[in-house]
Amino acid sequence: MTASCTRLAARSPTPGLLEAVADKLLSGRGIWPAVPAIIALTVVAVIPFIILLSLGFSQIEMERGTIVSQSFTLDYLINALSDPLYWTTFQRSMTLALTTTVLCLVLGYPVAYLYLIGGRWTRRAILILTIAPLLTSGIVRTYAWLVILGGRGVVNTALMQMGLIDRPLRIVNTHVAVLIGMVQIHLPVMILPLIALMARQDRRLEEASYNLGASRLGTLWHVILPMSAPAIGTGTALVFTLSYTTFVVPQLLGGGNYLNAATMIYEQVVYSLEWSKGSVSALILMASCLVVLTLIAMATSRITRWTKGRDA
Amino acid sequence: MMQVPVAKAEQATSAAVLRIAAVSKRFGSMTVLQDCSLSVAEGEIVTLLGPSGCGKTTLLRCIAGFWNPEEGAILIDGQDTVQTPVNRRPVGVVFQSYALFPHLTVAENIGYGLRMRGLPKTEIAARVAAALETVSLSGLGGRYPAQLSGGQQQRVAIARVLVLEPRVLLLDEPFNALDAKLRGAMQVDLRQLIKRLGMTAIFVTHDQEEALTMSDRIAVMRAGRIEQVAPPEEIFDRPATAYVADFIGSSNFWQAEAQAGRVILPDGQDLSTSLTGPVRVMSRPHNLSLQPGALGPWQGRLLFQRSVGALVEYHVTTDSGDMRVMAMRRPAARQPVEGDTVTLGVIDPGLCAVYEP
Amino acid sequence: MKPPRNPALTDRLGIGAMLALAVLSLVILVAPSIIVLMISFDTRAFVSFPPQGFTFDWYRQVFAQDVLVEAMMNSLQVGMAVTILCVLLGVPTALVCVRGRFPGTTALSVYVLVPHMVPGIVLGVAVLFAGALVGIGPSMGLQAISITVFVLAVMVRTVQSRLQRLDASLDEAAANLGATPFQALRTITFPLLMPAIMAGAVFTFIEGFDNISVAIFTHGFRDRPLPIELLAMVQSVNTPLVAAVSGVQILLAILALVAVSFSIGLDGVND
Repeated sequence: MTASCTRLAARSPTPGLLEAVADKLLSGRGIWPAVPAIIALTVVAVIPFIILLSLGFSQIEMERGTIVSQSFTLDYLINALSDPLYWTTFQRSMTLALTTTVLCLVLGYPVAYLYLIGGRWTRRAILILTIAPLLTSGIVRTYAWLVILGGRGVVNTALMQMGLIDRPLRIVNTHVAVLIGMVQIHLPVMILPLIALMARQDRRLEEASYNLGASRLGTLWHVILPMSAPAIGTGTALVFTLSYTTFVVPQLLGGGNYLNAATMIYEQVVYSLEWSKGSVSALILMASCLVVLTLIAMATSRITRWTKGRDA
Repeated sequence: MMQVPVAKAEQATSAAVLRIAAVSKRFGSMTVLQDCSLSVAEGEIVTLLGPSGCGKTTLLRCIAGFWNPEEGAILIDGQDTVQTPVNRRPVGVVFQSYALFPHLTVAENIGYGLRMRGLPKTEIAARVAAALETVSLSGLGGRYPAQLSGGQQQRVAIARVLVLEPRVLLLDEPFNALDAKLRGAMQVDLRQLIKRLGMTAIFVTHDQEEALTMSDRIAVMRAGRIEQVAPPEEIFDRPATAYVADFIGSSNFWQAEAQAGRVILPDGQDLSTSLTGPVRVMSRPHNLSLQPGALGPWQGRLLFQRSVGALVEYHVTTDSGDMRVMAMRRPAARQPVEGDTVTLGVIDPGLCAVYEP
Repeated sequence: MKPPRNPALTDRLGIGAMLALAVLSLVILVAPSIIVLMISFDTRAFVSFPPQGFTFDWYRQVFAQDVLVEAMMNSLQVGMAVTILCVLLGVPTALVCVRGRFPGTTALSVYVLVPHMVPGIVLGVAVLFAGALVGIGPSMGLQAISITVFVLAVMVRTVQSRLQRLDASLDEAAANLGATPFQALRTITFPLLMPAIMAGAVFTFIEGFDNISVAIFTHGFRDRPLPIELLAMVQSVNTPLVAAVSGVQILLAILALVAVSFSIGLDGVND
């Protein structure tokens, strides 16, 4: 007993240098393990953002690749804001994004409702059908719409066989095509937060509502919908950000001439090499996006507070 | 006043496996342990008892080394452990949640500490088998914790630390996760197991029944301080403070005057005390007697009575306050009814306690 | 308690419309991929629906075209680099966010989210400009590190949410049983985090492989990743070849889906 006691008390041989270092880093519960990530985030994201900002607001003179002088200017911003092309482009992006967001909500919420009332297999099927597109390339999913909406695509073939039209409709390269593509691409992003909320939902509230004689529609309207406000907020914020800044769908389904904010920035940066212009455009994109996100957040919190207050 | 039996705890010091000396612990500006001292002898089971937030778990975590006290020392076999990292302390903890590793089998859980010590595989297997035998779980070594009942999980948690032969076993509310029905039997089993192995153990609970069943001595804690350390009977019969008396068992308190080292009890008897001036006197309900009718100086009116098995609990309102009396049931004819005048008396004045008001 | 037995007509119509919309949404979600898959086996040299015949020719062609194979290899490399970097950077960060004992762990979790909240194209432009200023041109490396920073939040949050649900006393139990902090991490915390790390790896790999918004500004001129190549191809080629490349990508997505459902389960995606 005594012998084994001493043997057990003696710990494993002294750890190697590497382990000793690892222990030192881990036992303090300090910030050290996160330092590489912090450096990466700072160097690859935060500093570039600052540079982007400074590029958009400074007059730079370059000689053979090095900056000779740099001075603060609002010229680029003023130029951009007084250029009607900017206004129409951003307006187009904004309209497209807002329409997409609303349509995604209209199409996505019923799926969440089906998830809520569905059994185990319905729920599983919805999860698969929602997550699978997220894992599929955006280009592939957009390309599919070219096939569906194209001249010899699904829609036109069907319409012609039914004898409704005798020449293929031109659907691709229209606003409608872009919108359809946008909605389909971003629908899963709307649905996921909604079904996450539904999965956490206490079914008893709903049952209590039925118990009090409310109809299913009434329960949906008065109980379930108000409770989903936070998830609707998350979903709309995500869909708006993504659709406001997307590049692929307008490029593919809008034809080469559908200019939205993202495609405009791409052209300024990659084709015309106008960096300051591109910087300002990117900054306007980010700022306008933040404005809408803030509005969504404010609306959500107001609705949530109102619902909570009403419940209490 | 009853003296705190500090002397008894101090006697144990020479043979103490664990000695906690004037430990204080703060979190920010909040003091969670203040000047706690406790000695635990070889093979002794001591319970830290108190309501939640009294510091009992903090003290346990300081002994285990998860936290370190700002002041004081924790000595195991005479060696200060404050500098010893948590993984080198000869202390085994059974967690409230048992903290069994869900991805390891029962055998792997029990063998974990031995593996960390670099023991050869065959020896680990032998020791694990022996430990499984000790806690009567032989044959379940291949199961995963999730496949075990709560009671079985508790035994795995115990086996997992026993196999390392720790000097002190720390049990943090080990019955909390179990059904109320199981607890009674499990408490007796666990005490017998610890005693059979001759382990020294500290046991944390907020449940006085559990404390009375499990412990050789009980340390009652309140707001970061240890109020009294004594064997269960002594805690019950001679609670050192009004708080202890109130926390353990039920008690009657009333106001009195102490003069010349004596306190007159309401029934005319008297009791010696070291206090003078206004005091509080405490008596357990079963140390009071009750007679129907107006027979003595301490009279009251019976408010309510109920049978508790062979005993009857009476609630009586008197000039000294409301009293609870526990007495044997009388023949029906002599049983008072609610509203009757009754006379109370103290059976053994020596079992009353006198506290500062 | 079931809903009332004899619901009013409006109620039935309303709920019926909801469910019809739900089914429509689900069809919209899945139909395009199925149609692409059908087209990819078409024997004709132009895209048309419904497809005719059945052939693997287009798939054979995909792997016969050096440009496509190279693009796939590039994307594969970027995807793997992003995954590895996200594991190496993200897992320790998640540990610190949850277990760090210093003021500012919350600030750290927010800091990690910053690049993810910014539109991808803004990050892409910023990195392109910043790189140019210090003489780093677009390359596969720049693309990989930019996407890593962009999606690091996904890894951190997946691991973080799993870590938060682990019983904190497991780690203490390991220490009490004699494990050093490193041993506890290796034998207890890490195996228990593995499903979350796996799921995070799948999502970050897919992002590394498929990302366009960041990649379009940062990818190497000669090392075009598959999505960029495909983007150009969709606009210029009108044969089922594009559908076949898409088919390969869909297969990848299905593999990813299976991997996720085996690691954290599909319900875990939301956490």
